[in-house]
Amino acid sequence: MVLLSATASVLVGTVLVVLIVAVTGQRDAARSAFRSQEALTAGNQVEKSLITIENGLRGFVASGSRSRERFLQPATRALAAYPRDLGRLERLVADDPGQQQRVDQIAVAIDDYVRLWAQPLIELAKTRPAAARSVVVTNGGRERLDQIGREFAALFAREREVIRLREDRAEQRSARAIGFGAGGLVLVLLIATGVTVYLRRAVVRPVVTVAEATGRLASGELSARVPIERHDELGDLARGFNAMADSLEQHRAELERSNAELKRSNAELDQFASVTSHDLQAPLTTISMYAELIERRHGADLNGGMALVDGIRTATQEARTLIRDLLEYSRAGRRPLMLEEVPAGELVGRALEALAGPIAAAHADVTVDALPVVTADRASVTRVFQNLVGNAIKFTADRTPEVAIGAERNGRMWRFWVRDNGIGMEPEDAERIFVPFKRLHGEEAYPGTGIGLAICERIVGQHGGRIWVTSRPGAGSEFSFTLPAAEA
Amino acid sequence: MRRLLLAVVGGLVLALALAACGGADDSGGPATRASGDEPAPLRMGTKNFPEAVLLGELYSQALQAKGVRVVLKPNVGSSEIIHEALTGGALDIYPEYIGVLLSEVANDRSRPSDPRAAYRAADAFEERQGFTLLGMTPFSDSNAIAVTPRFAREHGIRTIADLGRVPGRVRIGAPPEFATRFEGLVGLRQRYGLRNLRTTPLMIGRQYRALDSGRVDAAAVFTTDGQLSGKRYVLLEDPRGVFGTQHVAPVVSRKALRDHGPQLAATADAVSRRLTARAMRRMNAEVVLEGREPRAVADEFLRRAKLK
Repeated sequence: MVLLSATASVLVGTVLVVLIVAVTGQRDAARSAFRSQEALTAGNQVEKSLITIENGLRGFVASGSRSRERFLQPATRALAAYPRDLGRLERLVADDPGQQQRVDQIAVAIDDYVRLWAQPLIELAKTRPAAARSVVVTNGGRERLDQIGREFAALFAREREVIRLREDRAEQRSARAIGFGAGGLVLVLLIATGVTVYLRRAVVRPVVTVAEATGRLASGELSARVPIERHDELGDLARGFNAMADSLEQHRAELERSNAELKRSNAELDQFASVTSHDLQAPLTTISMYAELIERRHGADLNGGMALVDGIRTATQEARTLIRDLLEYSRAGRRPLMLEEVPAGELVGRALEALAGPIAAAHADVTVDALPVVTADRASVTRVFQNLVGNAIKFTADRTPEVAIGAERNGRMWRFWVRDNGIGMEPEDAERIFVPFKRLHGEEAYPGTGIGLAICERIVGQHGGRIWVTSRPGAGSEFSFTLPAAEA
Repeated sequence: MRRLLLAVVGGLVLALALAACGGADDSGGPATRASGDEPAPLRMGTKNFPEAVLLGELYSQALQAKGVRVVLKPNVGSSEIIHEALTGGALDIYPEYIGVLLSEVANDRSRPSDPRAAYRAADAFEERQGFTLLGMTPFSDSNAIAVTPRFAREHGIRTIADLGRVPGRVRIGAPPEFATRFEGLVGLRQRYGLRNLRTTPLMIGRQYRALDSGRVDAAAVFTTDGQLSGKRYVLLEDPRGVFGTQHVAPVVSRKALRDHGPQLAATADAVSRRLTARAMRRMNAEVVLEGREPRAVADEFLRRAKLK
């Protein structure tokens, strides 16, 4: 980056220098053009002086009058004036050897004209006017002036050419400089573009890549990775990202593995419970039968032993109940559901029918709101209602039980509730009650195996819903569960 | 990447530097100047006709061969002008015709018939002016009047005096100064009493063609003119001696003589001695009729004469 900025600075500086050179060149060309113009002026002045001299001379020689001296006055002035212009011309062309040589030649020719023609002729005219007149006819002066004129023409042509060449060269140089300047600017632009592209590639793109990968990762694509191409901070960023993704993926794999393990052991447990309870039933039946035979055949002989037989029978009954509940629980999770669209009110009605005895005995007051049609397995959901209503009239305080059943739409689910005015429970117990065989109270206070709510949870879960309770001790409980609404 | 960039930048800077320096002008070398001890170059003038220019080449080349630096100024003008230039100090030396020098510059109308007498008179005149006359040539290029043989026959003309018998005007083609010279119209009128002469001013050398075409009846010529080699023209006799002998001698300033030493006079005299009428007529013909460069003709002659 430092090198690039340095390069750009050097380029800009160079472009400036070139432009300055070009401007200086133009200025020099203008100056030299002005110089050449001055040289032309000086040369013209000299030529004019010579013509003045020649004309004055001829007038002076040709005139026979006494006042002929007047012809000589402009010639004399011109004779005095031309060396100054000639000197100026010599100085102005001093920088061009070729022109200098031409001016030297012209100076010699002029000197010859003046000293070998003009001055001798004037002297001759003063002493021998007639001879001077005859000599003038030879046009010696005109010839010399014509020659000088030709030399001046060559000088001027060359000077004009020099002007043109200098201008051309200055123009060429400035064109070249402008070309170089433009080229330099283009190069600066290219470098700037290069820097931009470099920044994009080097900084922006990797960051964007990481951001995109993060998005993919967030949307669950744990295999998202960033290629590591660099060894700087951006490389560190990519490496960090990849490490994070690796760790996430690993954790999820572990979770999935343990999930599968849990499922498998649950299924084994269910299998075990089912098999065990089924196999236990036969001996229990036998025990119970034997107890009955003892009572029937030897009841009279037992005396006080009858109480023992009763104990056996009661325990056996309890064991059979337990086993039945356990079987039901294990089946609840495994039996395939027979789903159909069914009015929930019908299921509630069937449950209340089954509970008619206990409800009557408790003088319970059960109210049912209008209930919707749901997609459900009739027997299972009836069982849920039966369990919940049964609990509601079982766990009562000394009050008359009041049970309210209702439902409300909640998205694509319906929430059903069974509300009572019973004993309620501590909030921390609200979770535990759904655990199999978990009881909050002793068997003596409220009979039951404690499997009911666990079965309810399995059934609701199998339907894709969930079950929970909100309650406070002594303020009654509200059991809620959700079921999918029937397809519209 | 970096190396490439460096190369590009380096190249660019170099190119710019070259572009900036490319326009430098080369300056001329120092002007060469003569050392202080050497005398100023000898400024030699010549009169304004081919023979005079040829003489200038002969004298100047011989002197240069001896190491004398000479600046030759050919075609300065007629005697009237060139002698003014000499006395005015614009020239140091020029070859002059002694007869013209006497008659037109010294204004001496004695017309000495003896070339030595004429030379002495001319030398005496120049000495008074501050000049010296160097050695005289064997050849004499006198002025003369030429006519065509037909014209001579027609009017029975043999001498200049016979021109008076020609009816009507006689047109003489001559250089302009002829009209005002004693060795010209002035002398012809004075000595021969000719009143019917009219001059037609012509550049020296053009008069032969004018004569051929009949534009003029007679022409003022030089006796060494190459055109006179054959029998195409008749030179009229000059019994009353208007046209003097015209041997040539360089007129030189005493200062130049001092500056350049005895070598100057010795070399010029050596050249003069070789210039016979035959040699001059031949060289004139080469220049005027064959169109050769006077410089080359002089060079050839000097080499053959071992003067160069």
